[in-house]
Amino acid sequence: MHIPDGFLDLWVCAVMYIISAAVIGYSAKKLKGKLEAPQVPLIGIVGAGIFAAQMLNWPIPGGTSAHFVGGAIAGILLGPYAGCLSMVSVLTIQCLVFGDGGITALGANIFNMAIVDVFVGYGIFKALRRYNQDVSLFLAGWIGIWLGAIAAGVEIGVSSIFAYGLMTTVPVMGIWHGALGIIEGIITMLAVRYVLIKQPDFVPLPKEVRG
Amino acid sequence: MELKEGLRKWRKVLFVIAVMILLSPFFAWAAEVVGYAEPLESAAEHLGAMEHEYAIISGLIPDYTIPGANPYASAIVAGIVGCLIVLGLGLIMGKVLQRK
Repeated sequence: MHIPDGFLDLWVCAVMYIISAAVIGYSAKKLKGKLEAPQVPLIGIVGAGIFAAQMLNWPIPGGTSAHFVGGAIAGILLGPYAGCLSMVSVLTIQCLVFGDGGITALGANIFNMAIVDVFVGYGIFKALRRYNQDVSLFLAGWIGIWLGAIAAGVEIGVSSIFAYGLMTTVPVMGIWHGALGIIEGIITMLAVRYVLIKQPDFVPLPKEVRG
Repeated sequence: MELKEGLRKWRKVLFVIAVMILLSPFFAWAAEVVGYAEPLESAAEHLGAMEHEYAIISGLIPDYTIPGANPYASAIVAGIVGCLIVLGLGLIMGKVLQRK
């Protein structure tokens, strides 16, 4: 789902950079001076875990596949603002050190995976956890990545290289990632449960910055 | 000291991260076997956009492979390097955002 250089029109790159920069700035402002000592390593630890998990491409027969993205997990464990910053660090390092995702498309990739996936995943978890925690975690991971993929489909679909093929790009991204997103949902549920069981002293960020 | 303590508390999660890094070569191999391709690439191919793909910055370890090195050993090195940088970057962010 990492968009490379060359796919997006310049104006799309610019718009996505502006939106993403605004959300990153707002998130940093919300968090400034709010972390206590035990919470200082959380952004890095969650980011490192997500980076490692993203390296594991799912080997699905037929080949059309994806890998774990993890925005919903970051949003659920850290709250949307710190979750966003954690995902931004993952995506930026992937782009600069590993050439995964283009530098011109970084604003778009951040929007899809560090903003849409994080905030949607967090929102679904928060809205539904009172009914059933496992189901809310599954839906957060699934729908978060599904909407992130649709956002990517729109960004490429309004670009000239894709012949303005919105009617192709959105269904291709939406249907495939909608199906593959089930795996993301299951991993999200298992991973958050693992952290909550294995880290009973897990100190979440203060309520005010978890939204 | 506080930081060391903070990381120690997360040793089980750090262990899981280490396991994922060690498994990455098997996943790289399996992805090759099934012909891994993402839906984004399918859409690009369908609309003839694939030839326009390029990388302005290919990075120190392009595509998680050290040029000339064994790709499976590369995956482990890439995993270690990537996780350490992300961890470090996150710690710096955490420090900057900490209550003074």
